Amino acid sequence: MPASYEQAITLTGDLHARPAGALAVAAAKFSSALSLTVGASSADAKSVLGVMGLGATSGQHVTVAAEGSDAEEAVATIVAILAEATRVGA
Amino acid sequence: MSSDATVGIVLVSHSAALAEGAAELAAQISGGTVNIIPAGGTDDGRLGTSAAKVQRAMKLADSGAGVVILPDLGSAVLTVRALLGEAGDLPTRVELADAPFVEGVVAATVTAAGGGDITAVLAAAQEARHARKL
Repeated sequence: MPASYEQAITLTGDLHARPAGALAVAAAKFSSALSLTVGASSADAKSVLGVMGLGATSGQHVTVAAEGSDAEEAVATIVAILAEATRVGA
Repeated sequence: MSSDATVGIVLVSHSAALAEGAAELAAQISGGTVNIIPAGGTDDGRLGTSAAKVQRAMKLADSGAGVVILPDLGSAVLTVRALLGEAGDLPTRVELADAPFVEGVVAATVTAAGGGDITAVLAAAQEARHARKL
C-alpha cells in the first residue's frame, strides 16, 4: 500500500561527504522514492552527489520525505542517519 | 551472476597517485564494500596508461556482477577501448563510463554499494556530469 510520510530534523553539524554516502547507500535499499529538502533545494536521497550538493550545514532544517510502500521506515532510517552523522564530534 | 555480487569499479588514470587517491576517497564515502581498483600510470611508474594494469584491475574488480571503468582523460579512453576491442572473451560485462572522474567514481561506487546493477552503476557515473557542486 503506497504511502507518503515525512519528518523534519534540525542538523547539529554539517552534512559531509561520508555521511552523504552512507545516507545514499541506505536510501537505495528502500523501494520508496526519497527526497531531502533544505530551504528551496531538494535532492534525491539516493543520489550521493545530489545530497552533497545540498550543502546542508549545522542549524538547518532538513525535511525527509518518502513515497512508497516502505515510506515510514525509509524516513525513520534516513532521519536516524542524519542525526547520528551530524552529531557534534561524529 | 549471483544476485548479491557487487559491481566492481576500475579507475584508469595517467597518474597512479590520482587513481589511488580517487579510489581511497570513493571507498570512504561508499563504506568500503565495493571493489574499487586503481590502474594508474605506466608499467615503469611514469605518467601514462597501461593496458596490462587495466587488465589486471578488471580481474580484481570483478565479483560476478560486472565492472564499470572510469577513465580520466583522452588516451586513457584509447587504452581501455583497445583492450576491450581485443579481449574477445571477457568473463564479465564491462562498461566504459563517459563521466567526470571524481564525481563519477563517487556516484558509481555509492550506487554499487546500495545494490545497484551494472546498468544503474553506469548511469550513476554518467549522470554525475549534471551534478552541481555549488
